[in-house]
Amino acid sequence: MKRLLGVVILSGFSTIAMAMMDHSRMVMDEHGMIMNANPSQLPRDCREIFEEVHFEIRAGRQHAQKFPGRMFAFSAQQWRVKPCAKLNITFINDDPIRHQFMLHGLPGYLYPDGMFHMELYGKGQLTASFIVPSQNKTYLAHCEVPQHMEKGMKAQLIVGEGSGDLPSIPGISAAARADAYPVAWSEWSVLSGLVAVLVGVLLPWALERWQRPSRR
Amino acid sequence: MMSRQRFWTECALALILASAAWQLRPHSTVTMGADLPATTPEMFAENDSEPPCPNEHPDWRAAQEIEGVAIDAALECEPDNPYDIAVAVKGVEGVSMRTLMQTQFAQDALTFGEDMDGDGDPDVVHLKLEVVELNGASPDGEFVIPGYRIAPGIQPAIWAFAPKSRDMALKNFRSTEAIAMLRAPSPTIRVEQGDKVYITLENTHYLPHTIHLHGVDHPWRTANGEDNDGDGDMPVYPGESKTYEIQPRHAGTMLYHCHVQTDKHLQMGMSGLFVIEENRPNNWLQTFNIGAGLVRHPSVAVRERYQREYDLLFQTLDKHLSAIVQRSNDPRVIAERMNRDYNITESLEHYYLLNGRAYPYTLRDAQLVVNSDEAIKLRVGNMQNAPLALHLHGHKVTATAQDGVEIPQALQLPRDVFDLATAQRADLLLSTVNDGLHSYGPGLWMFHDHVDRAVTTDGITPGGNMSFVAYQPLLNESGMPKDEHHAAMINYAFSKSYYNRNAQHSLWAKGEFTEALGKVAPIAPDYLQLMGFGLSLGAALGLLLHALTRGLMQREETQ
Repeated sequence: MKRLLGVVILSGFSTIAMAMMDHSRMVMDEHGMIMNANPSQLPRDCREIFEEVHFEIRAGRQHAQKFPGRMFAFSAQQWRVKPCAKLNITFINDDPIRHQFMLHGLPGYLYPDGMFHMELYGKGQLTASFIVPSQNKTYLAHCEVPQHMEKGMKAQLIVGEGSGDLPSIPGISAAARADAYPVAWSEWSVLSGLVAVLVGVLLPWALERWQRPSRR
Repeated sequence: MMSRQRFWTECALALILASAAWQLRPHSTVTMGADLPATTPEMFAENDSEPPCPNEHPDWRAAQEIEGVAIDAALECEPDNPYDIAVAVKGVEGVSMRTLMQTQFAQDALTFGEDMDGDGDPDVVHLKLEVVELNGASPDGEFVIPGYRIAPGIQPAIWAFAPKSRDMALKNFRSTEAIAMLRAPSPTIRVEQGDKVYITLENTHYLPHTIHLHGVDHPWRTANGEDNDGDGDMPVYPGESKTYEIQPRHAGTMLYHCHVQTDKHLQMGMSGLFVIEENRPNNWLQTFNIGAGLVRHPSVAVRERYQREYDLLFQTLDKHLSAIVQRSNDPRVIAERMNRDYNITESLEHYYLLNGRAYPYTLRDAQLVVNSDEAIKLRVGNMQNAPLALHLHGHKVTATAQDGVEIPQALQLPRDVFDLATAQRADLLLSTVNDGLHSYGPGLWMFHDHVDRAVTTDGITPGGNMSFVAYQPLLNESGMPKDEHHAAMINYAFSKSYYNRNAQHSLWAKGEFTEALGKVAPIAPDYLQLMGFGLSLGAALGLLLHALTRGLMQREETQ
């Protein structure tokens, strides 16, 4: 199983080489955990690794600052890769609280529960790899700490053409159940509306006057 | 040409028809003659009744030993995960990876340091708490997440402190149900007198919070001069972390709660019991009691005097306050509605919780399971926004301590109603010696807050903070009444539609009482009368219109 998990780079501040505990498809220590990393096993529909990409994905409060009304976010909200790509993810947590990079919908025969998961219990970083199948598909990536995805920590991985945007991704897609915000009407807005009605009422007369000379 | 005479005739006819229409007008209610309307026995919808005990983890109930930790039997439907208890006693570093994997504790959730007094147990404790929102909003659809039901079909938003967890917050990818560790109330925390305790609040929530240690001996400032009182004006903001430091010199039953915008955050559920146990040799404590309830690994001091120990936390929720976080997903809107629109002085509490649940779910994990001739310790905390009048049927209990302070022996009187003001605590001795005073003998005795609205769930009774003092021989293997007659008396409440006001049910329409106490059969509308009403009203209007238009036309012509 160690072979499957490949090279796991531990968070930088642990000087003692903490051997992460290996529990079937999971490695974990007091800084975080990785589940279902897969740096080498090809999905059934892939003959070879089509491309190898490296993504640095940061998570934290600060990444939500560019999205008003969100509290947590990843440093990017979507990533595009080719079918059968191998992804090397460096996951960095910029907050002193827990964040996750949890990806769903992968084939169950390679990734139990269809999941690839990286989690950091506080500030730090982890690196792990996985290989996507050949089909065009958009995968959900999120943090499942309660209310983190809901309040902004949601992104998508687009393989090939993808299969359409997922809802409620900051800056990318509208919410399926969107908040309604009040419109700031004022006296001026009411007045403008009334003036428009008045103009509308006078319009037939104005048109008649304008058309009359041509009739003659 | 319309004659003047005809005009007036039409008008008069219209008037007659209009008065006929008035006589025939439809009514929303009718009175009956000698015979009253029939009865329909309307029973509960079969499809939304649930089994009283879902029996998800029967293996969690037995007495067992994990990692050398003796865990008492918990003969209830939904006891705590015994592996959680092993971790709560030994710390994450004190258990094997195999045990840790049976729990969802993060690997830094609870760590122990040195044994300072050399008495065989650790005296430095570092525990980490997160803030979870149960039944929160989702921008992805009309559902709440992570789901937590206080009673059948009832999911108000709740905020709770939770031991730092890891991995999934939901039971699986297709579920929206929270895992067992994410629940209300906040866990009871147990430390030893004299322990050096570090409590880290990692604010995973989207609003600021603090931890205030109510009644717990703590310095006002930390060693480096920061707030140590959980002052609401110095909150821990979202994504931030803060450690409170204590070394309590006094033992007793205390509290912890958030002190930010206290009138809202307490009513959202942010409170738990904080117990300081007497210092004894080899006193390995169950640092977290998830969801309060039975303490399955009690302290040395408690074991000396009692056969069992229960933590009981009473809380209230306001459904209007809860709804704020479910209606919007924007923290700015939530903050404004909570802090500016919501007014606690114009509000009432709607849900009365005992250990995070309302009846009948209290029967799943908040029964006091006892045997005859036992001494049972109850640690009761009132975090309701109302006084508590705790009453146990069939027993008189004795307070041994109040607000964490021992009561002198001579003042320890058995009583059957204990009043606790908000934030007060009592240590109660429940004796099951059948002497006609302390106990009237075995039974499934109710216990509840005797304030009438507290035994309702949003006004539907039975509900609220009621549960049973249950003598074990009367319970079946899943912790529910053995006797079928008694089981039937409680089973009807395990139904969503029972707590839905709009789903009408006749409570007592059984056997010979069906005709007298069933639901009044719906009364069919009288269509003949309705037709008569419609025709006469229509004709009256038609005639009137006819007379008027003809009359006007005639006028124009004559001019």
